[in-house]
Amino acid sequence: AKIRYVNTYRLESRKKFRDCLVRDKAQAILMNKLQQAKYDGISSPSLCASVSEEILKAVKELDFDRYKYVVSVLIVEKAGQAMNVASRWVWDAQRDSWVSAKFESETFIALALIMACYYD
Amino acid sequence: QPSFVVDEVSSIIKEAIESAMGGNAYQHSKVNQWTTSVVEQTLSQLTKLGKPFKYIVTCVIMQKNGAGLHTASSCFWDNSSDGACTVRWENKTMYCIVSAFGLAI
Repeated sequence: AKIRYVNTYRLESRKKFRDCLVRDKAQAILMNKLQQAKYDGISSPSLCASVSEEILKAVKELDFDRYKYVVSVLIVEKAGQAMNVASRWVWDAQRDSWVSAKFESETFIALALIMACYYD
Repeated sequence: QPSFVVDEVSSIIKEAIESAMGGNAYQHSKVNQWTTSVVEQTLSQLTKLGKPFKYIVTCVIMQKNGAGLHTASSCFWDNSSDGACTVRWENKTMYCIVSAFGLAI
């Protein structure tokens, strides 16, 4: 059975999501993990997954109150092709937000998208 | 307690991709239009389902050039009610990856 909580009558988060903090953290993690890496068909998938988990862990550590997170990381090899990324959401414009961080090296481009949704 | 039904969402996404880019070859001038239309159509069909969910839809279209592309996502949510669905589609000239995330309110 689902746990039932007593009403707190709080409509807002106690510690709101701060995009500047998250963007800096995400950019730092991308730099740390990907500076030395070269695009490699074998190791890149696991690298991609581990970067996304690390970013999720770091955002959870920042401990914003009442948020659910979705972190998406894209690693694309640079080969002169064109690429287009688009995203749309149906959410609460006043309480939810997103942050993106990019890292570019000689052989690949990495893009991280972090979305935080208020939940009570 | 509503939950995210992956099959339903995956068929919605496939329909949106087919109708936006069905028989077309990669065209640089049209890509922007395609990505927006895939995402907007998916989102409008998802909201028509009428479930109490917040949705996030991301679409990546890439020209086929022999380059590699990897995506990974990790999420922090309620496993019993939230879910994600990713659909990979390709034709002779391009790849399209659409991910839809649903978070219960």
